[in-house]
Amino acid sequence: MSAENQLAQRLRVCYGKDGRLAYLGHLEVMGTIMRSVRRSGLPFEVSNGFAHRMRIQFSQALPVGASSRAEYYDLMLPHEVDAEDALEALRRCTPAALAPVRATLLPRRMPALEAWADRAAWQVVLPCAARDAEGVTQAIDDVRARGVIEFMRGDKPRRLELERTFVAYELRTEGESLAMLLETRSTEQGSLRPAVLVQEICGRPPQRVCRLGQWHEEADGTLTSPM
Amino acid sequence: MRFPREDLFSLIEPYLGEVERPSRYLNHEWGAVEEQDGPFHACVMYPDVYDVGVPNLGLAILYDELNRLEGVSCERAYLPWVDMSARMREQHIPLLSLETASPVASFDLVGITLAHELVCTNLIEALDLAGITLRAEERDEDEPIVIAGGPSVWNCEPVAPLFDAVLLGDGEGAVSQMALAVRDGRAEGLSREGILRRLARIQGVYVPSFYEVKVDETSTRWGYAVPREGTGAPEVVYKHCVDALSATEPVAQRIVPYLPVVQDRLTIEVLRGCARGCRFCQAGMTYRPVRERPAEQVLEAVDRGLATSGYDECCLSSLSTTDHSECATMLRSLHDTLGSKGVRVSIPSQRLDSFGVDMASVARSSRKAGLTFAPEAGSQRLRDVINKNVTDENMDAAARNAFKNGYRRMKLYFMMGLPTETDEDLRGIAAMSERVVGIGREVCGMRSKVSVSISVSVFVPKSHTPFQWAGQLPLEETIRRQRVMLTAASDRALRISYHEAETSLIEGALSKMGRKGFDLILAAWQRGCRFDAWTDQFDFESWKQAAADIGVDLEDVACEWFDLDVRLPWEHTSPGVSKGYLQREWRRAMEGRTTADCTMSSCTGCGVCPTLGTHNDLAGRRS
Repeated sequence: MSAENQLAQRLRVCYGKDGRLAYLGHLEVMGTIMRSVRRSGLPFEVSNGFAHRMRIQFSQALPVGASSRAEYYDLMLPHEVDAEDALEALRRCTPAALAPVRATLLPRRMPALEAWADRAAWQVVLPCAARDAEGVTQAIDDVRARGVIEFMRGDKPRRLELERTFVAYELRTEGESLAMLLETRSTEQGSLRPAVLVQEICGRPPQRVCRLGQWHEEADGTLTSPM
Repeated sequence: MRFPREDLFSLIEPYLGEVERPSRYLNHEWGAVEEQDGPFHACVMYPDVYDVGVPNLGLAILYDELNRLEGVSCERAYLPWVDMSARMREQHIPLLSLETASPVASFDLVGITLAHELVCTNLIEALDLAGITLRAEERDEDEPIVIAGGPSVWNCEPVAPLFDAVLLGDGEGAVSQMALAVRDGRAEGLSREGILRRLARIQGVYVPSFYEVKVDETSTRWGYAVPREGTGAPEVVYKHCVDALSATEPVAQRIVPYLPVVQDRLTIEVLRGCARGCRFCQAGMTYRPVRERPAEQVLEAVDRGLATSGYDECCLSSLSTTDHSECATMLRSLHDTLGSKGVRVSIPSQRLDSFGVDMASVARSSRKAGLTFAPEAGSQRLRDVINKNVTDENMDAAARNAFKNGYRRMKLYFMMGLPTETDEDLRGIAAMSERVVGIGREVCGMRSKVSVSISVSVFVPKSHTPFQWAGQLPLEETIRRQRVMLTAASDRALRISYHEAETSLIEGALSKMGRKGFDLILAAWQRGCRFDAWTDQFDFESWKQAAADIGVDLEDVACEWFDLDVRLPWEHTSPGVSKGYLQREWRRAMEGRTTADCTMSSCTGCGVCPTLGTHNDLAGRRS
């Protein structure tokens, strides 16, 4: 690795998405965070293209309406900063429901976050009507056996293979509802959105969706944390 | 009936996943005032969706000023888009404020922006959705006092029945006086009428219910308004005017929205008013005198505004930013300090000469997307009629300079249907545009991708302008003239677009009518019209039927010419520009004589300074 590549000029920040701000779209979250970075006074690199944009990378888009405990962005720095100081500065300048919780410095040259973090865990509260764990289990098994979900995104028909994208699940009770702990994998062909799966098995959207974590899956199947 | 003040967000939350752009309804944006302790509660409302209303600088100024007042809290409200309002109506959820999701009908004071004529049905939609009695005169004692202000107050008669009071002119200072008058009046147990009497004593405040409309041989069919006996209201309400822009807060816009909005940037008002004297321009007449913010204050404001907002673009806003006497100093300084930070600086329009292009180039540095100019008319004769003091040579020099500076796209704005316009003037639009294309090819080469877009709108005669007596072009004639222009424009590098003639006709009719216009608006709203400024929502047929319902013909109203000495429906409200000056300007227009800009020559006698006791306030010498 060259000396330049070893420079710790990539600030990786872990943040949540909570409360009403779960209804922000990915572009809205990106815009809000870029403005938070500018407010914080942290140094950042600017691209040399037509529009001189901030050099920042985000992890995979979270669906509108879903909250999260583990979203990430990488901010490219022109020089090293103290990660704790940076975290504090960002915290002061970010809306509370998107507040950063951890930050660390990483080498400048790394794979893009969006493609690298390819595993996710979700907590999905199923619709009120879906209280029969056995029935839900059977419906999930049926869908997995078919191996594919066909659905509409807007007015476009989509098709998703489940063999690679659906990793595991577990059902548990949450209050009066049934909740699913779901593990998914994103591939070049697409990624499984929890709401799509729940719509398929229950015929209704979930009550709540929360992304619990994101990781990179190594070749041997072990999971590496982004931090 | 006053609604109880309570947080009703939980009522709309279930629908957030079902509607377009749920972030319109979330609140908690950066810079929003979270503490809303009151005890006096005001709500400022923009009668369109959030993403159109948030960038409005006027509303931001009032929100900031009211929230600084001791004991006064101010929230915002916007009109929900049709998907959300349909659900709210189904579930009987009233219109809510953003900050605390309280019913708008629970506030002490509700202030609404009159942005343009085409929000008129939205005003009714907003009040109806809020559960506030539509007509001010029928409101209960404890209902909110509903006031209005903004750029479209200058013939507010068609919407006047909706408002307890209308603020004419600059809001700074006056809105605080209004809020305090309502608060103190309530505390003293004054009746609604008693509070209105207090409001009427504030400079610039017009109380419609204190005036009655008379129609006689001295007036148009829409009549004129005179004070009701015993109200003590003045015959003419003159606008409220801030003498020095430098005395106002330059960073009024503090809220940073989550979703992309129409002007998604920091806006600093560098200049208010314009004295160029374009005879069709209502803003040019009603925002006088000219008041500049000093460069030093602007630069400090940009620095502070960017630091607190995090925006990556800053707009130096005004009616004519390149006329600011310190424009070059400001733009060069900002270019030097902000370029390396990835912050863009923009100016809303370019002066039509080489200096304008130079300034646009400094502002945009490496971004050479395109430039916009507004010659307004295609021939020198007609430009003299409208007092657009630019020549063909100015246009050619600006175009040559722009192409030499690397610009490849240009947009030219024109109007159709201006008084005295002939087919020759229309062919002049095509000729001028083709000449610009030719200059582009000469400078950049025949194979360069030079393109020129022409946008042609229909002239709408507006109150308090020298053209207020003119009639609008009938629809059929508009279409014929569009064909004349299209036939004359043959170069394939030209792209021509027209503003929709039907929406202009509604705008024109509402600009002419007096208080009777309210019946038309109400009938249109009852037929389902709202969001009329949105092409996909505008329903011309319903407007025509609404006009028939009240026994008028839209074209007949909009195209009517008035005699020069007739009493007009809006003469009891005044921006300070005298009727004598407007008549003189009309006559000069008919003679093709131009009038100079008083910030660069001597006084032209518009009457604003002596009437309002003010004067132009420039930061330096203009050239």
